[in-house]
Formats: sequence, C-alpha cells, structure tokens
Amino acid sequence: MVGSITPEQNASAAEACLAAINDRFGGSGIESSIQNHSNDKKYAFVRIVCPPQHWIALAKWMKYDLSVNYCSMVTGTHFPDGSPERGWEVAYHFLRQPIQDQKPNTCTVHDVEKLSGMDIPMEFEVFMPLPQGDSPTVPSIQSIWVGADWNEKETWDLVGIKFEGHVNMHRVLNPNDSPEGFHPLQKQHKLRYHDHNEMYDDPQGFMRKPADEGRIK
Amino acid sequence: MAQMWITMGPQHPMTHGLWTLRVKVDGETVVDTEAELGYIHRGVEKICEARDFTQITPYCDRLCYVSAMTWANSYIYAAEDLLEADVPERAEYIRLISAEIQRLASHLMWLGAFGPDIGNLTLMTWCMRDREMFLDLLQELGGSRMHYNYPRIGGVKRDMPIGFADRVIAKTKLFEKRLDEYEMMLDESTIWLVRLQGVGYATAESMVDAGVSGPNVRAAGVNYDVRWAHPYSVYDEIDWEPSVEKPTSVKGADCYDRYRVRMEEMRQSCRMVLDALNKIPGGKNTNYANGDEMIFTKAPTRAPEGATGFSNYECTRGASQFYVQGGGESRGKNPYRVSIRSPMFLTIPYVAKTMIGYKIADIPAIMGSFDPCIGETDR
Repeated sequence: MVGSITPEQNASAAEACLAAINDRFGGSGIESSIQNHSNDKKYAFVRIVCPPQHWIALAKWMKYDLSVNYCSMVTGTHFPDGSPERGWEVAYHFLRQPIQDQKPNTCTVHDVEKLSGMDIPMEFEVFMPLPQGDSPTVPSIQSIWVGADWNEKETWDLVGIKFEGHVNMHRVLNPNDSPEGFHPLQKQHKLRYHDHNEMYDDPQGFMRKPADEGRIK
Repeated sequence: MAQMWITMGPQHPMTHGLWTLRVKVDGETVVDTEAELGYIHRGVEKICEARDFTQITPYCDRLCYVSAMTWANSYIYAAEDLLEADVPERAEYIRLISAEIQRLASHLMWLGAFGPDIGNLTLMTWCMRDREMFLDLLQELGGSRMHYNYPRIGGVKRDMPIGFADRVIAKTKLFEKRLDEYEMMLDESTIWLVRLQGVGYATAESMVDAGVSGPNVRAAGVNYDVRWAHPYSVYDEIDWEPSVEKPTSVKGADCYDRYRVRMEEMRQSCRMVLDALNKIPGGKNTNYANGDEMIFTKAPTRAPEGATGFSNYECTRGASQFYVQGGGESRGKNPYRVSIRSPMFLTIPYVAKTMIGYKIADIPAIMGSFDPCIGETDR
C-alpha cells in the first residue's frame, strides 16, 4: 500500500515555505499566509498576494530556490464593480513536485513517509490584484516555466490580461479573426440568464418567480 | 530538398478530435510543428457563471465525453472546498469506485483508439467490447451511458443499486484476465514494438516544466500522483500502488513506456475497486435511500464574496484542476468565476514539439500515446 502525505508533513512543509518567503521578501509588500482547504482532509497550502512589480523576482526565486517546478494554471478575473485598486485579479496556481530525470532502467517510487523538506509536494496560490482600467498588465513568466506559456495565452485570449514580455502571443481558443479587444470572460459580456433571477422572467423559462423574489438572498 | 508545411487536421485520424497540427517537413523528417486549438471551444467557463453551483455538474460531464465521471468529481471537490460542505464517508467510497471504473473505461477507449493508429484494428473491437462492461456499470449508477451527472455537492445522487457490487466484482475479475490477453497480443507483436519502441522520447523534467502530468509523467520513471501527493477522497485507506514505468533510455519515456504505464494503471484500478468494495462503510450490498445521511449531506448553496475553492484531481489524463470563486449576495447561487485547467491543454503543445526529429509516420504513434482529448482541451 502506498502511503499518502500526512497532515504533519503537509503542515511542516507549508510552514517552512512561509518562513522562507517571509525571510526573503518580508517587508517588500508581498504578503503570504497558510490557508487550509475546507474539504475533509483540511490540507494546507501557501497563499501569496504579490504586487506586479515584484512578480518576476518572486517567480524566479520560487522556481530556483523553492523548487516550485509546475505551473498548473493561470486565471484572470474581471471585477468591474470592485474597488479602484482591484478591478482585475490574476490567480496563479503552482505545484511543487519531487520529480527528476531517471537513469535508464530505474524508477523513483517515493517512500512517502520519508519525504521531507523540499521533496514534500506543496500547493501555491499567487494572487495579483490589478487596478481598474482598460489595460491590466502583468509581467510574463513564460521564460521561467514553459507551462506558463499556453496558460498566459489562454488568459489573454479569454480575459484580456496583457502579459508584458510574452513572445508569440496569439488567440488559442477564440477564432484567430476575433475582433481586437474582444475577450469573452470580461463581465460586460453577458450571457442570457447571467443574473440569477433572469431565467424566471424569461417566457421560455420556468414562467414563475421564486417566493423570495426581490429580497436579499 | 525544399522544406514545406503540411497541415494535419482538423479532420485527420491522428488528431482524435478537432484540432490542427501544422508540420514542417524536410523530406520525411519533421523539423518544426505548430498546434492550433479551439475548434470546439464552447465557452463552458462563461456558461458556468450563469448557472447554480448544482447546475454546473452536467457541463463538467461534457468537458470530456470519455471520462465524464472524473471531470464531474473534479468540479465537485472544488465546489465543496468553496461551500465548505461535508461529505459522508460512504459517498467518498462510491465516488472513488465510480472514478476508477471510469478510468478503466477511459483507458480502454484510449487503447481502442490507439490500436488503429498503429495498424492494429483488432484491438479496437476488443477494447470496445470490454469498455461496454464498464459503461453498463456506470449506467447503473448515473442512468445514462456517457454523461452521468452522478456526484452531488455533499455526496452522490443515489446509492449503488442492489447487486451492483457483485456485478462490479465479476466484471473486474473477468477484465483482469482479459488484460493478460491484451498483453499477449500486443507485447509479442513485432509491429506493435517496432512502431512504439524508441519513438517519441520525453524526459520527466521537461514534461513537468511544460505542465504535462499524470500517466505520461509516470511513464518516465517518476512516481508522482495527485492521489497520494495532494490526497483527496479515501485513497489513503485503499490498497493500491501508483504504476510507474522504468524508462529504457536517458532520453526519457518512449511511446511503449506510455502504453505500459496505462496497462498497469488499469490493473491498479481493478485492485482499488475490489478493495474499496470490501472496505465501504455500510456494506457493499446495502442500498440507502436517496438523500440518506450515509450518502448525502445537505450543503450550503451560496458562497460568500471573495471565497475561493480549488481542487487538484487525478483525472484519467493527468491532473485536472478547478478554481471557483464565490460572488456573494449579488450573484445568488451562482459562482463569480469558474476556471478549468485541463491536463491536455498544456500537453498537446508540448507533444507537438516532441515530434521534431521523427518521421511523419511516427506522428500518429506519438500523439496517440499521450491520450489526447479535445473536448477538455478546448472547453
């Protein structure tokens, strides 16, 4: 039977990462904290809130000093009704995976209980709030993680976040001839039924309104 | 000889879906490639913003029509993280069993589609025959053949039907024997070995850097699996071992390693299903009523503003991830933003680049061995 990462291993790795980040970037405006998933397992991960100007320094340090080798997703979100300093947000998700190339005819089967230090898998979440405006811009990390390349392409294509320094940016999911400035996940583009009560008003909908219509839910 | 660009796809047997691989060739040798995606982009993320948390599950089923159950589960774990739902242990076991049966069906679909790529049409008929057994099992749970809409936030839709456990045991034991037959047919076939061995090398570190995950990375000799590294569900209570393949070269895993690792993974899935049925709380032959507290706990339907949920889930092709943001009162029961990360979205551009240096005839073998699925890639 293979063991799983224990809560103790998970907590100690999260605390070590947090201490390392605070040690290196404390006082620079980068805020980090340990969060727990609310599922059964309550596993911990590291959440970092980083201003865009420090992002490249932090990213390089994470990759080369903290062994964060896997850029799994980049999510842009549009907050048109948000505060002036948070009109957009980019959320990055990273994983640390204990992976190295193998010599021929060998394989690594981790003895999970003995994993320690930098070998314990860990999850990182980096938030980058951006001010209101028409051109949200963050520096590109394409040259640091290869996996960030297509994630950034997608985020620009769908949300319209500009990645400064990204080479060969192009549409990936929308058609190549989409109009310039059209990014469908921005909130001014509304689907039918976008507002949750709309479907009740629609003649093709349920033809009824909920009992608590008009009250704050 | 002059170099030229050839377009393979969107309609090409190699693509296993709708996408375009542009290949620059020098004679028979591939010197450059470009992948073009987006042909079946449906805007699922945008649609999800206009739906309740519970209404999103069917859309996640349709992300990948070959492994609907694992994708729905993946979303459910993110939504439960966001809504802070509790899940009964029996429901977790049923989810595990359904996900592993889905993994068997998905890998059989992969093998059945990969065989004709290599020139082995018999394999397709065999795999379709066996996949049908598992689709029948999933149909008993979800009510339909492909899109089950089975997991719920806080549990599962209904309990396992009476006799389901016996049928699962009979079918997985039969299938374990059939796996030996497959190996007899494939591992001793010269054509199969010549087409797969020494083709499509990829090292573990380059794959991880590019965002490839799951069986494709384990084929390169590294045991990394979300099921033990970022545990969810009840995998820590079940008897299983991740399948890891020893690569034969310093250049990493070839197509043959990726085929082997999936065969072993099917064995492990059989083992997990059988073990989970033994350990399931409440007994394998009990059928609790819909909504019983053994299989379902009522969950909150509204998420506070600024709350986020994230799930990292070992799907059949690698780690699928969901990131869900709650919207507070103004958004009612709808999420503010749902972001989906498909393992194949990053794998396909990577695979396109690994083809450089091989012959045109190797392209279907290399592409097929990574198990592409375009439904989840384009979303």
